[in-house]
Amino acid sequence: MTELEEWEKVKQALRKPATPEAMKEAAQAFAKYRVVQLTKGKGSKPTLVTLGRGRGYPNAVPVDKIPEELAKNPNFFNLMKRVVK
Amino acid sequence: MPTVLLLSDYDLPTRSASGFLLRNIVPRVEPVQLYAILARRRPFQLSAPQSDIIIGIGHGDAIGFSGQNEVVILEVGRYDPREVEGKVIKLLSCQTGIALGPDLIKNGATSFLGYVDDYVWVCDSDLAATPWTDKMAATCLMPVVDSLNTLLDGKTCQEAIEIEKNGYSRNAEVEEDELLKACLEFNRDNAVLLGDPEGRVRARPKLPLPFRLVPPPPILMPLRR
Repeated sequence: MTELEEWEKVKQALRKPATPEAMKEAAQAFAKYRVVQLTKGKGSKPTLVTLGRGRGYPNAVPVDKIPEELAKNPNFFNLMKRVVK
Repeated sequence: MPTVLLLSDYDLPTRSASGFLLRNIVPRVEPVQLYAILARRRPFQLSAPQSDIIIGIGHGDAIGFSGQNEVVILEVGRYDPREVEGKVIKLLSCQTGIALGPDLIKNGATSFLGYVDDYVWVCDSDLAATPWTDKMAATCLMPVVDSLNTLLDGKTCQEAIEIEKNGYSRNAEVEEDELLKACLEFNRDNAVLLGDPEGRVRARPKLPLPFRLVPPPPILMPLRR
Protein backbone atom coordinates (compact mmCIF):
# COMPACT_ATOMS: atom_id res chain seq x y z
CA MET A 1 0.00 0.00 0.00
CA THR A 2 1.35 3.46 -0.88
CA GLU A 3 1.91 6.33 1.51
CA LEU A 4 -1.02 8.26 0.10
CA GLU A 5 -3.35 5.31 0.55
CA GLU A 6 -2.17 4.92 4.15
CA TRP A 7 -2.69 8.64 4.75
CA GLU A 8 -6.18 8.42 3.28
CA LYS A 9 -6.97 5.77 5.92
CA VAL A 10 -5.76 8.15 8.66
CA LYS A 11 -8.03 10.86 7.28
CA GLN A 12 -11.02 8.54 7.10
CA ALA A 13 -10.52 7.38 10.68
CA LEU A 14 -10.22 10.96 11.91
CA ARG A 15 -13.50 11.95 10.26
CA LYS A 16 -15.41 9.83 12.78
CA PRO A 17 -16.57 11.11 16.18
CA ALA A 18 -14.12 10.57 19.05
CA THR A 19 -15.38 7.18 20.22
CA PRO A 20 -12.91 4.63 21.68
CA GLU A 21 -13.27 2.53 18.52
CA ALA A 22 -12.59 5.45 16.18
CA MET A 23 -9.64 6.58 18.30
CA LYS A 24 -8.13 3.09 18.15
CA GLU A 25 -8.71 2.91 14.40
CA ALA A 26 -7.03 6.30 13.87
CA ALA A 27 -4.11 5.24 16.06
CA GLN A 28 -3.57 2.07 14.04
CA ALA A 29 -3.89 3.91 10.74
CA PHE A 30 -1.40 6.58 11.84
CA ALA A 31 1.07 3.96 13.07
CA LYS A 32 0.93 2.21 9.69
CA TYR A 33 1.41 5.51 7.85
CA ARG A 34 4.48 6.36 9.91
CA VAL A 35 5.99 2.94 9.22
CA VAL A 36 5.77 3.73 5.53
CA GLN A 37 7.28 7.18 6.06
CA LEU A 38 10.08 6.01 8.34
CA THR A 39 11.32 3.57 5.73
CA LYS A 40 12.33 6.63 3.74
CA GLY A 41 15.16 7.09 6.20
CA LYS A 42 14.21 10.42 7.78
CA GLY A 43 16.27 10.37 10.97
CA SER A 44 16.04 12.67 13.99
CA LYS A 45 13.28 12.86 16.55
CA PRO A 46 10.28 14.57 14.93
CA THR A 47 7.81 15.94 17.47
CA LEU A 48 4.40 17.48 16.88
CA VAL A 49 4.18 20.70 18.89
CA THR A 50 1.51 23.33 19.54
CA LEU A 51 1.37 26.68 21.31
CA GLY A 52 -1.92 25.95 23.09
CA ARG A 53 -2.62 26.50 26.77
CA GLY A 54 -4.67 24.16 28.96
CA ARG A 55 -6.10 22.24 26.03
CA GLY A 56 -6.20 18.75 27.54
CA TYR A 57 -3.35 17.36 25.43
CA PRO A 58 0.42 17.66 25.62
CA ASN A 59 2.12 20.57 23.82
CA ALA A 60 4.74 18.22 22.42
CA VAL A 61 4.06 14.68 21.20
CA PRO A 62 6.89 12.74 19.53
CA VAL A 63 5.57 11.60 16.16
CA ASP A 64 6.13 7.94 17.03
CA LYS A 65 3.93 8.42 20.12
CA ILE A 66 1.04 10.01 18.18
CA PRO A 67 -0.77 6.64 17.83
CA GLU A 68 -0.69 6.15 21.63
CA GLU A 69 -2.00 9.66 22.25
CA LEU A 70 -4.66 9.27 19.56
CA ALA A 71 -5.88 6.04 21.15
CA LYS A 72 -6.22 7.42 24.68
CA ASN A 73 -6.90 11.15 24.45
CA PRO A 74 -10.13 12.42 22.82
CA ASN A 75 -8.88 16.04 22.97
CA PHE A 76 -5.80 15.11 20.97
CA PHE A 77 -7.95 13.07 18.59
CA ASN A 78 -10.08 16.17 18.01
CA LEU A 79 -6.98 18.32 17.40
CA MET A 80 -5.74 15.85 14.79
CA LYS A 81 -9.21 15.76 13.28
CA ARG A 82 -9.01 19.54 12.75
CA VAL A 83 -5.44 19.46 11.43
CA VAL A 84 -5.89 16.49 9.07
CA LYS A 85 -8.87 17.47 6.95
CA MET B 1 10.64 53.66 18.98
CA PRO B 2 11.64 50.21 20.26
CA THR B 3 10.25 46.88 19.19
CA VAL B 4 8.70 44.74 21.88
CA LEU B 5 9.81 41.22 21.11
CA LEU B 6 8.59 38.79 23.74
CA LEU B 7 10.11 35.34 23.35
CA SER B 8 9.15 32.62 25.80
CA ASP B 9 11.61 29.75 26.03
CA TYR B 10 10.81 27.03 28.54
CA ASP B 11 9.55 24.01 26.61
CA LEU B 12 10.02 22.47 23.18
CA PRO B 13 7.43 24.52 21.22
CA THR B 14 8.51 27.88 22.70
CA ARG B 15 12.19 26.96 22.24
CA SER B 16 11.66 26.01 18.62
CA ALA B 17 9.64 29.10 17.69
CA SER B 18 11.75 31.58 19.70
CA GLY B 19 14.91 30.06 18.22
CA PHE B 20 13.86 31.10 14.71
CA LEU B 21 13.24 34.67 15.85
CA LEU B 22 16.49 34.77 17.82
CA ARG B 23 18.32 33.90 14.64
CA ASN B 24 16.35 35.88 12.09
CA ILE B 25 14.58 38.81 13.76
CA VAL B 26 16.49 39.76 16.92
CA PRO B 27 19.57 41.02 15.01
CA ARG B 28 17.52 43.68 13.23
CA VAL B 29 15.56 45.17 16.14
CA GLU B 30 16.51 47.34 19.09
CA PRO B 31 17.85 45.49 22.13
CA VAL B 32 14.78 45.41 24.35
CA GLN B 33 13.89 41.78 23.77
CA LEU B 34 11.96 40.16 26.56
CA TYR B 35 13.56 36.76 26.22
CA ALA B 36 12.99 33.74 28.50
CA ILE B 37 12.82 34.88 32.16
CA LEU B 38 12.18 38.45 30.99
CA ALA B 39 9.07 37.35 29.11
CA ARG B 40 6.89 38.41 32.02
CA ARG B 41 4.07 40.84 32.64
CA ARG B 42 6.01 43.65 34.40
CA PRO B 43 8.79 44.11 31.81
CA PHE B 44 6.09 43.95 29.13
CA GLN B 45 4.03 46.65 30.90
CA LEU B 46 7.09 48.91 31.04
CA SER B 47 8.21 48.49 27.44
CA ALA B 48 4.95 48.05 25.50
CA PRO B 49 3.65 51.66 25.73
CA GLN B 50 6.86 52.95 24.08
CA SER B 51 6.81 50.62 21.09
CA ASP B 52 5.04 50.69 17.73
CA ILE B 53 5.06 46.91 17.29
CA ILE B 54 4.55 44.00 19.66
CA ILE B 55 5.75 40.57 18.57
CA GLY B 56 5.07 37.70 20.94
CA ILE B 57 5.76 33.99 21.10
CA GLY B 58 4.10 31.99 23.85
CA HIS B 59 1.30 29.63 24.69
CA GLY B 60 -2.19 31.01 24.40
CA ASP B 61 -5.89 30.37 24.15
CA ALA B 62 -8.95 32.27 22.96
CA ILE B 63 -8.79 34.88 25.71
CA GLY B 64 -5.15 35.11 26.68
CA PHE B 65 -1.51 35.12 25.68
CA SER B 66 1.20 33.99 28.07
CA GLY B 67 4.93 34.43 28.45
CA GLN B 68 7.58 32.48 30.32
CA ASN B 69 6.15 29.54 32.28
CA GLU B 70 2.63 30.54 31.22
CA VAL B 71 2.59 33.81 33.15
CA VAL B 72 -0.25 35.90 31.68
CA ILE B 73 0.91 38.77 29.47
CA LEU B 74 -2.33 39.85 27.79
CA GLU B 75 -5.80 38.68 28.71
CA VAL B 76 -9.18 39.99 27.61
CA GLY B 77 -10.18 42.84 29.94
CA ARG B 78 -7.02 42.59 32.06
CA TYR B 79 -4.51 45.03 30.56
CA ASP B 80 -4.10 48.77 30.21
CA PRO B 81 -5.20 49.95 26.73
CA ARG B 82 -2.07 52.18 26.67
CA GLU B 83 -0.04 48.99 26.23
CA VAL B 84 -1.64 48.27 22.86
CA GLU B 85 -2.96 51.59 21.54
CA GLY B 86 -1.81 52.42 18.00
CA LYS B 87 0.34 49.31 17.72
CA VAL B 88 0.70 46.49 15.27
CA ILE B 89 0.57 43.23 17.21
CA LYS B 90 1.68 39.80 16.02
CA LEU B 91 1.18 36.86 18.38
CA LEU B 92 2.53 33.44 17.43
CA SER B 93 0.29 31.53 19.77
CA CYS B 94 -2.83 29.38 19.69
CA GLN B 95 -6.33 30.75 19.18
CA THR B 96 -5.60 34.37 20.16
CA GLY B 97 -7.45 35.51 17.03
CA ILE B 98 -10.77 34.37 18.52
CA ALA B 99 -11.35 36.77 21.42
CA LEU B 100 -8.04 38.38 22.47
CA GLY B 101 -7.32 39.81 19.00
CA PRO B 102 -10.74 41.50 18.66
CA ASP B 103 -10.36 42.83 22.23
CA LEU B 104 -6.94 44.32 21.40
CA ILE B 105 -8.42 46.04 18.35
CA LYS B 106 -11.36 47.30 20.42
CA ASN B 107 -8.84 48.80 22.86
CA GLY B 108 -7.01 50.74 20.18
CA ALA B 109 -4.46 48.41 18.56
CA THR B 110 -4.06 49.30 14.89
CA SER B 111 -3.78 45.76 13.54
CA PHE B 112 -3.58 42.27 14.95
CA LEU B 113 -2.06 39.20 13.32
CA GLY B 114 -2.73 35.84 14.95
CA TYR B 115 -4.48 32.49 14.60
CA VAL B 116 -8.02 31.31 15.24
CA ASP B 117 -7.03 27.74 16.10
CA ASP B 118 -3.93 25.99 17.42
CA TYR B 119 -0.59 26.79 15.80
CA VAL B 120 0.96 23.38 15.07
CA TRP B 121 4.18 22.24 13.49
CA VAL B 122 6.66 19.38 13.60
CA CYS B 123 10.10 20.08 15.02
CA ASP B 124 13.13 17.95 15.72
CA SER B 125 13.62 17.64 19.46
CA ASP B 126 17.22 16.56 18.89
CA LEU B 127 17.90 20.12 17.68
CA ALA B 128 16.60 21.91 20.79
CA ALA B 129 20.04 23.44 21.40
CA THR B 130 20.15 24.97 17.90
CA PRO B 131 16.47 25.28 16.95
CA TRP B 132 17.20 27.60 13.99
CA THR B 133 18.90 24.71 12.18
CA ASP B 134 15.73 22.58 12.24
CA LYS B 135 14.64 22.18 8.61
CA MET B 136 11.39 20.43 9.53
CA ALA B 137 10.32 23.31 11.78
CA ALA B 138 11.51 25.83 9.19
CA THR B 139 8.75 24.80 6.77
CA CYS B 140 6.20 26.33 9.17
CA LEU B 141 8.27 28.95 10.99
CA MET B 142 10.12 30.60 8.10
CA PRO B 143 6.88 31.97 6.61
CA VAL B 144 6.33 33.64 10.02
CA VAL B 145 9.87 35.05 9.92
CA ASP B 146 9.31 36.30 6.34
CA SER B 147 6.05 37.93 7.39
CA LEU B 148 7.74 39.67 10.36
CA ASN B 149 10.56 40.89 8.13
CA THR B 150 7.91 42.32 5.79
CA LEU B 151 6.45 44.28 8.71
CA LEU B 152 9.91 45.44 9.80
CA ASP B 153 10.58 46.60 6.23
CA GLY B 154 7.73 49.07 6.77
CA LYS B 155 5.20 47.24 4.60
CA THR B 156 1.52 46.80 5.47
CA CYS B 157 -0.04 44.08 7.61
CA GLN B 158 -2.00 42.91 4.56
CA GLU B 159 1.25 42.36 2.68
CA ALA B 160 2.73 40.59 5.72
CA ILE B 161 -0.12 38.10 6.08
CA GLU B 162 -0.11 37.39 2.35
CA ILE B 163 3.62 36.64 2.52
CA GLU B 164 3.00 34.26 5.42
CA LYS B 165 0.06 32.47 3.80
CA ASN B 166 1.84 32.19 0.46
CA GLY B 167 4.86 30.76 2.27
CA TYR B 168 2.74 28.01 3.81
CA SER B 169 1.12 27.22 0.46
CA ARG B 170 4.47 27.13 -1.34
CA ASN B 171 6.01 24.84 1.27
CA ALA B 172 2.91 22.60 1.32
CA GLU B 173 3.13 22.11 -2.44
CA VAL B 174 6.61 20.62 -2.24
CA GLU B 175 6.24 18.81 1.08
CA GLU B 176 6.26 15.03 0.81
CA ASP B 177 5.27 14.24 4.39
CA GLU B 178 1.48 14.38 4.67
CA LEU B 179 1.57 15.33 8.36
CA LEU B 180 3.84 18.32 7.74
CA LYS B 181 1.70 19.30 4.78
CA ALA B 182 -1.46 19.13 6.91
CA CYS B 183 0.17 21.37 9.55
CA LEU B 184 1.15 23.95 6.91
CA GLU B 185 -2.36 24.07 5.44
CA PHE B 186 -3.91 24.20 8.92
CA ASN B 187 -1.77 27.19 9.98
CA ARG B 188 -2.42 28.95 6.67
CA ASP B 189 -6.18 28.55 7.01
CA ASN B 190 -6.16 29.82 10.60
CA ALA B 191 -3.95 32.88 10.16
CA VAL B 192 -6.00 36.07 10.54
CA LEU B 193 -5.50 39.79 10.23
CA LEU B 194 -7.82 41.97 12.30
CA GLY B 195 -8.09 45.76 12.40
CA ASP B 196 -6.49 47.96 9.75
CA PRO B 197 -5.01 45.96 6.83
CA GLU B 198 -2.97 49.06 5.95
CA GLY B 199 -1.39 49.21 9.42
CA ARG B 200 2.40 49.48 9.29
CA VAL B 201 5.35 50.36 11.51
CA ARG B 202 8.55 52.33 11.09
CA ALA B 203 10.94 50.47 8.80
CA ARG B 204 13.93 48.99 10.59
CA PRO B 205 17.33 48.83 8.91
CA LYS B 206 17.85 45.63 6.96
CA LEU B 207 20.35 43.12 8.27
CA PRO B 208 23.91 43.65 7.10
CA LEU B 209 24.83 40.93 4.63
CA PRO B 210 27.38 38.89 6.63
CA PHE B 211 25.06 38.55 9.67
CA ARG B 212 24.48 34.85 8.99
CA LEU B 213 28.16 34.24 9.65
CA VAL B 214 27.75 35.48 13.20
CA PRO B 215 26.65 32.64 15.48
CA PRO B 216 23.44 33.21 17.42
CA PRO B 217 23.66 33.40 21.21
CA PRO B 218 24.07 30.01 22.92
CA ILE B 219 20.91 28.63 24.47
CA LEU B 220 21.82 27.25 27.84
CA MET B 221 18.56 27.04 29.72
CA PRO B 222 17.14 23.56 30.17
CA LEU B 223 13.65 22.84 28.86
CA ARG B 224 10.81 21.99 31.21
CA ARG B 225 9.87 18.33 30.98
